[in-house]
Amino acid sequence: MNILEKLKIVKHKNPDIIDFCIETIRFRKLLENAQALLDLFEDGHEKNLGEYILDRHYVTSLIDNVVERLGLMIYDACVLAPESGEKLYTQYDKHKLKAGRLFRDSEDSEKKNSDELTSITPEYKLLAEVLKWLDGEPSEPESTVLDFMVHIYVCVLKSLETKNILKSEALFKGGISKDPGSNIYLVDLWKDAFFSPKLRSLDDINSIPLKYFLMDVYHGRALPNSKNGKKAVTWIAAASEYRLSLSTLKSDFQFRLEATASDYEKSNFIFVFADHSINTKNILPAGFHIEKTDYGRFAWSIDAASETIEDNLILIGRNLFSA
Amino acid sequence: MEAQKLKIMVIDDENIVGKRLKPVLEKSGDIVETFEDGVSALARFEEEPFDIVVTDIRMEKIDGIEVLERVLAKSSRTKVIIITGYATVEVAREALSKGAFDFIAKPFKPADLRTIIKRASQELNA
Repeated sequence: MNILEKLKIVKHKNPDIIDFCIETIRFRKLLENAQALLDLFEDGHEKNLGEYILDRHYVTSLIDNVVERLGLMIYDACVLAPESGEKLYTQYDKHKLKAGRLFRDSEDSEKKNSDELTSITPEYKLLAEVLKWLDGEPSEPESTVLDFMVHIYVCVLKSLETKNILKSEALFKGGISKDPGSNIYLVDLWKDAFFSPKLRSLDDINSIPLKYFLMDVYHGRALPNSKNGKKAVTWIAAASEYRLSLSTLKSDFQFRLEATASDYEKSNFIFVFADHSINTKNILPAGFHIEKTDYGRFAWSIDAASETIEDNLILIGRNLFSA
Repeated sequence: MEAQKLKIMVIDDENIVGKRLKPVLEKSGDIVETFEDGVSALARFEEEPFDIVVTDIRMEKIDGIEVLERVLAKSSRTKVIIITGYATVEVAREALSKGAFDFIAKPFKPADLRTIIKRASQELNA
């Protein structure tokens, strides 16, 4: 069966679909803030290699920017998972306190700054401390900013799973509920993803990431057949020209992929969540950062060149549908 | 023909900058003096002009812009390179309009500064 026959465009008439789109856009906002945080980590690590002339101002700006971005991420998380708000803000306060301690250390190091040129300067020492706080080996379990970010993902995805807007009976009346198969229901995130109500070829899809995701499947290099996998999975693909948000409807097979594929490398990313029933090794290409949790695995690849993102999407699409 | 040694002045109130730049720039055979404030740097400049002045923009008492103005008033051939933090691009623009040779944003690699110094040196010798 041709993949195009499995694609069903869902109209925006139902308020639940609109809520789903709003929720998806907000989740992507959270990921964009997370991506900005990861960029800050990467910048700090690059500067820590010792090749740069940097001063205390760089390190204190790094701390400031992390605290600010983390605050934006918490805000997004609280919109998506308000029941976790208090807990998340309490943890955020602990990170702000840690940031404050690092600031004070930075002032102390300035006062103590000796005239001798030691092999490790106070600025680099402080930067190393900051990086330890961001994503290093923690002195206490789950005390890094990265641990906290992963915790935020867990809170948010658990909450979305519980609410499960799209489970509403009325939503896909006569559609999904009757024939779960391996259909992919397409939702326009920004009213620009699908050129025509009936898709005749991949060219009718104006979503770069979705087009690449389906490319190998479309050309017959993998077949989306529910009999191939253990479970019949129904997919929802919310798409716009540069974005794809793909998730499953079944609560016992949870997979979520968020991707941005554009010409602007800095905005490109792929984020994946897979529950324990899914072996991500069989799905994800090399080069992904993977975090394991009790809830499932989170994986991401950021700042990749357009070609890399496109290749990765093709591979994930093929692996997912032939798994 | 042996290249002429440059006399370079580095001014930054974060002493790490001078400490790290001095040995790097001296590797090229240039003469480097470092200062942690504009007052002592300008006093030294009064005694003897330098070919190149590398100065941070944000400093107490005398900031980088004032250093730039006073250095150029004393020696118009001196090339002044401004070091700027992330948030001071506007000020860096002002510095360029007031005659700074170039500016470099912190954090930076010493090699990037050396490239600017090389260009400045070529102009000095032109």
